[in-house]
Amino acid sequence: MASSSSYSNPPCAACKFLRRKCLSGCVFAPYFPPEDPTKFVNVHKIFGASNVSKLLNEILPYQREDAVNSLAYEAEARLKDPVYGCIGAISVLQRQVLHLQKELDATNADLMRYTSNEIAVHHQRRMAYGSGVRSYNPNPGYYSYRENPGHGSN
Amino acid sequence: MTIKSGSGQACAACKYQRRRCTPECLLAPFFPADEPKMFQNVHRLFGVKNIQNLLKELGHDLNQKATAMKSIKYHAAMRNKHPVWGCMVEIHQLNCQIQLAEEELQAVLHQLAFYKQQHENQLSSRTADDYISDLQLGMAPPGNSLEAHSHYNNEEAGAADYNINYMDFKEMNNVVNSMCGYSNNNSNDNNLNSTVTHAHLVMQQPPLSAVEQQQHEDYSEMQPFFDNIDDSQSYIGCKEAYDQSSLSLESQFKASRHDVEEIDENELKSAAACFSLTSVN
Repeated sequence: MASSSSYSNPPCAACKFLRRKCLSGCVFAPYFPPEDPTKFVNVHKIFGASNVSKLLNEILPYQREDAVNSLAYEAEARLKDPVYGCIGAISVLQRQVLHLQKELDATNADLMRYTSNEIAVHHQRRMAYGSGVRSYNPNPGYYSYRENPGHGSN
Repeated sequence: MTIKSGSGQACAACKYQRRRCTPECLLAPFFPADEPKMFQNVHRLFGVKNIQNLLKELGHDLNQKATAMKSIKYHAAMRNKHPVWGCMVEIHQLNCQIQLAEEELQAVLHQLAFYKQQHENQLSSRTADDYISDLQLGMAPPGNSLEAHSHYNNEEAGAADYNINYMDFKEMNNVVNSMCGYSNNNSNDNNLNSTVTHAHLVMQQPPLSAVEQQQHEDYSEMQPFFDNIDDSQSYIGCKEAYDQSSLSLESQFKASRHDVEEIDENELKSAAACFSLTSVN
């Protein structure tokens, strides 16, 4: 009995699901291994095998893996959320970007206020220390306060 | 020859398929005759049968159906524009923007904490005479620290609000990372692919190429869709990655507050140790 070619190459997940012979030039075989049948099932449910096949044939071979992975992700998203699919994720991310931007603007404004307040306080101190001197004697129990006899003089 | 439906003109779907557009046509409300390209995109990606099945799954809720069809049209348009990555382009760009914004926010928060620290140091560097005179005159200790506490309380509350529902970031990022890693080795003259890959790898603001800007202009009609989208009904629920990032922000706020409290207490103690207080009668 001649050994069938299918023994050396187990059918890919696509051909297994579609119950057809997995030929050597099968467009799905490199991207839908038999170990992960769910991937093809999802993609087929949402997009259909023929549409996926046409899409893969329209792009270059080295781009096909990326395309299949993105289709698999989108199909899974659509199955989980039939209304929004992966567009829901885009919307959430857009809102997060806006929220972060607002946070950033508010924090920057705080920083600006703080730095301008620092400058103002520093300025005030310089003015204040110019008009009066408070002396301090570290001896315990003794404290004196003197004003600079010359008002405003420094 | 397409026979006109009750509305007077065959819908884009029936026109494309060259069949009679009946009043019961499921796709007619969503594919007007003046948008043939939209239907072609959808047909190319999903196929008529799959769209009809999807509409049947949604039951009789017209709003849901309308929303679903909008998202499908956008999805198909994105796939038409980017045959390899489809919607993942947008998702990846937004992820990059979020990452950059987070890093910038952390940097600004660090700066703010630094200035806060400096301010507290300046306050504590006032001479002991100032404290004594304040105490003798019955003045309260510097109140700025109290204001700072309340300020940080507000910020901490804001950080807690930052905990937004988010999709399975890890899973999505794994897909995106693996795709970017693969594409980096095989990038071709597709400007958008290389732009997105480069942005992902160097973690810089993704420069919008002319292609991307054109994309945004082309899909400007989709923006109102996003403004009205009620994604609270979306399946997205897992907030793993953003829990982590929001926790880091909260802990940073708490740490800053703790430091401020410690400084105040230590400075007061050292100031008090320098002299003994005399009671004022």
